[in-house]
This record gives sequence, structure tokens and C-alpha cells, in this order.
Amino acid sequence: MDRETVERVARTAHIRLTEEELERYSGDLGDILGYFELLDEAPNCDSYGIDPIGVADVTRDDEPRMTIDADRLLRDMNTYERYVRGPRLS
Amino acid sequence: MSYLQRLKDINAKYGMFHAMTDETDAGESRFLFSAKDNLTSLDMETCAGSRILQGYVPAFDAAAIERMKAAGGMLVGKTNMDEFGFGTFSANSAYEIPRNPFDRERSCGGSSGGSACAAAVLEGHVSLGVSTGGSICCPASFCGVYGIAPTYGRVSRYGLIDYGNSLDKIGVLSAKASDLRKYITIMAGRDERDPTSCVQPELKSERRRMKSVAVPKDGIQGLSGDVEAAFNDSIETLRSMGIDVEEVDMPSFRYAIPAYYVIATSEASTNLARYVGMRYGVQEGDLSLKFDDYFSSIRSASFGDEAKRRILLGTFTRMVGYRDRYYAKARQVRQLVIDDYKRILQDHDAVLTPTMPYVAPRFDEIERMSALDSYKTDYLTVPPNLAGNPHLSVPCGYDGNGMPIGMQFVGAHWDEDVLFTMAEEWEKAFDMRRPEVEA
Repeated sequence: MDRETVERVARTAHIRLTEEELERYSGDLGDILGYFELLDEAPNCDSYGIDPIGVADVTRDDEPRMTIDADRLLRDMNTYERYVRGPRLS
Repeated sequence: MSYLQRLKDINAKYGMFHAMTDETDAGESRFLFSAKDNLTSLDMETCAGSRILQGYVPAFDAAAIERMKAAGGMLVGKTNMDEFGFGTFSANSAYEIPRNPFDRERSCGGSSGGSACAAAVLEGHVSLGVSTGGSICCPASFCGVYGIAPTYGRVSRYGLIDYGNSLDKIGVLSAKASDLRKYITIMAGRDERDPTSCVQPELKSERRRMKSVAVPKDGIQGLSGDVEAAFNDSIETLRSMGIDVEEVDMPSFRYAIPAYYVIATSEASTNLARYVGMRYGVQEGDLSLKFDDYFSSIRSASFGDEAKRRILLGTFTRMVGYRDRYYAKARQVRQLVIDDYKRILQDHDAVLTPTMPYVAPRFDEIERMSALDSYKTDYLTVPPNLAGNPHLSVPCGYDGNGMPIGMQFVGAHWDEDVLFTMAEEWEKAFDMRRPEVEA
């Protein structure tokens, strides 16, 4: 995979790569995708899903419920007056 | 249960635990267990092998741990693993790398390496593992213990830190074959918090005996000499137990590795998008940065090498222009693998291969492997994981250096019973060795 593509993919995934990483992942991903060409030889299949077994919808009444104490959850979070702190949006 | 007093000393030798209890008395507990560190545990740090989760102390137990505790179990430790399950040797970790109980210069296998180590070293211990592409059977084989990954959906994954949602399964490792039935039975059952667990039929315990196994021709290629010899001897033992063994064709087998790595990394790359330095784990970034820069700075500094590689790979194979070639085709191959197992298991009780193509490698050998070399090593354990079939590894021999060798039985969906019975019968026929424990 060329360096430009690796850079583009990394930007999409919110990962910054050093020069050394760019070089290394470019080589590694090229090797791996080369091996993945084996998929081109595989027969096509008309039916396929996401899960290996059938999965049914499971629903419950749409009522709010709290199974974990909110104060306990907030204990380990970086907060300000019980609001979770985050970075600037713009 | 006396090992509780020696737990820290034992861990200093083998490095199986990331976090462990300070208790030295089992009290009223009926059994002691450990769990892979990607299962959340109340008030015990849970990092899934990743620096990005450092300091995360969950407010709840995963359903599997909850059920083990409800049955009288005491959680003694969280086991070391590859970061988020990304590996075959438990060496891709921000924390300690577990060492093989038979030779501490070698790997325990992965990614549930710490769990296999604990099962092998601690007397009467059971450990919970998680398998996405072979992460229970591989370390069970390398550490010479029994291990089962049940059918996809058999055990609730509520509280599991996801790797690949359509692949992850929680299972059991132990030096005692009967523990597999006992503890899967405790953890199995529907749980509305994980909808994939809600379609399962009842887990049977009829002790149905295995009568025939199928060996795929592609599953006995590329083996080391010691593994091939031990596997052939084991086939003779199975025949002497009255089990028919037949070689079969399984055309999808050779495509399973690329299909698995496309699907698994695609799912992983979306699952890992939640780790941005907020809410849990590492939160030490500069909040004055714009969100893009903040997220990137935390993720770049905190994900390990293999995690970054898999995120990049999974992001790429889902991108417009590449999705059909990789992701859509991989899903088709997955269906071919499922269909092949269904066809073969109409006439046989299980599909049998060695579990791993070689014994546990030394750490210096692992360092010389490329990422692709490591991925290809999983060619025997990936097919049943792609198909969601239950699969079980039993120890079946030892190489010239005394390193354990395993073989893997794959059963039909929801038919764990025949696998449990096979392991229990095998335990009577096989002369299993336990490691000499140093502490």
C-alpha cells in the first residue's frame, strides 16, 4: 500500500503515524493485501449475512431504567460539575 | 485452594495475571476462577491488554463473571492477553507477557494466553477465555490444557470488550476435561443484554458419544514433524476407541484466513473508534485541542503496534472503492465455510485437525515473524470461528522438548454435548503431563 493511502486511512481512523510507522505499515499492509488476493479466486456465494447463526430481534418495553449507579460511573471520569469533559468542538 | 497464599509469587514467575485479588483465604467460595482481561470485572482493573484502558475499573461484572460468582466462584485474577485480542502469542500487549508453563522462554499462545497459563499452573483452577479467531484453542494447545469455545451466542457477551462482534465467543480453559461441561453449563443461557444469546436452544448434557470424525485434507498440510506424528498417533487412538476417521475435502478451508482477517479487522476498526480519551481509561490529553487533534493524540500514543495495524487494515477494507472486493467477498467466503461445515457434519460428529501447526514458539522466534506470518499461523483455528461452530482443543502429545501438542474437534452449531463427552473420554485414554510449577 502506498504511503499516501496509508496516510489517508490513518487520518480517517484518527491515528497519527511517525515517518517510521508510515514506512513500516506501508510494507506490512502491502504484504497482507497481496495475500488477500486469494479471495479473488474464491467462488461467489449468493446468500450471506453478518452473524454465523440466525439472530432474532429482542425487544423490551421502552422505559428508562438505571442498572448502574451514575455516581459510580462518574467516579473514574474526567468531569466538571457532573458533566463529562471533552475537547473543543471547533 | 491453597495457592491463593502463593498467587503473587507464582505470578512473578509466569506473568499470567494483569490484576489479582489480595485475598489469601477463599472463605465460603466453592471454586476459584480467573477471567481474561477483556471481561469487565467489578472493582478490578480491566485493560484488555491496552494502554488506552489503563486505570479503567469497571462498575459492573460481565455476565459470564456474574454467573460464575453466582455459582459460588471467587474471581482471583484477570489474565494477560494480546491487546484487544489482536494476536496469536499474547505478546502484543502493553502489559506483562505470560510465559509458557513448560518453558518460560516460550509463548503461552494467544490471545487468551494468561488464561491457559493459569489453567495449566494452578491446581484445580478454571479460567475464562474469549475466542475471536482461535484465542481459546491456540493457547490451550500451547499450554497443554483443555479449552472450548462454544457456539457463537451460547454465552452472553454483556460486559465483553468487543473485538469482532460477529465472531467473539466466551469459553473455558482447564486442566480437567469435565470442567468444560461444568462451567459452560453455568454460563450458558439467554440474556436480554446480549441479543445473540437469545436464540440458543437448551444446552444438552446427554453425554452422546462421538462415532465418526472428518479430517479435512487442507487441515493436515503445513504441519511440523512433531505435530504431524502426534496427530497421526492420536488418530490411531481414536480408532481404537471405536471412532471412524475419514479424510474429506473442505474447499473453503484455504480462503478462511483472508476472509477472517478482513471481517475481524473491519469490525475491530469500528469497535475501537470509541477509545478517544474520554469517559474511561487514559484521559490525560490536552482538552484545549480541537476534538480531531485530541482524539488523534490520545489514540496515537496509546494504541500498540498491532492495534494500529488492524485499525488501518479494517478501515481500508471498508472504504468506498474497496468494500466490495474485500468486505463483501469475505462475507461470501464466510458463508461457504458455514456451508462446508454443515455438509460435512451431516455425516460426521466432528471435524478434526491439529489445533496449531507447531508447538509454542520461543519469544525470539516470534520477534522475527512478520505480521502476515503470524496471521497465517491461525489457519486451523480460524475456520470454526468464522462459522460460529463450537470447537474444543485437547492435549494429544508432546514434542522432543516436552512441549504440548493439541488437536481440535469442531462440532455442529449448539452441539457442545458431543464435544464435552469426547474430551471426557479422551482424558481417560491420554497420559497428560502437568508442568513442574516453580514459585
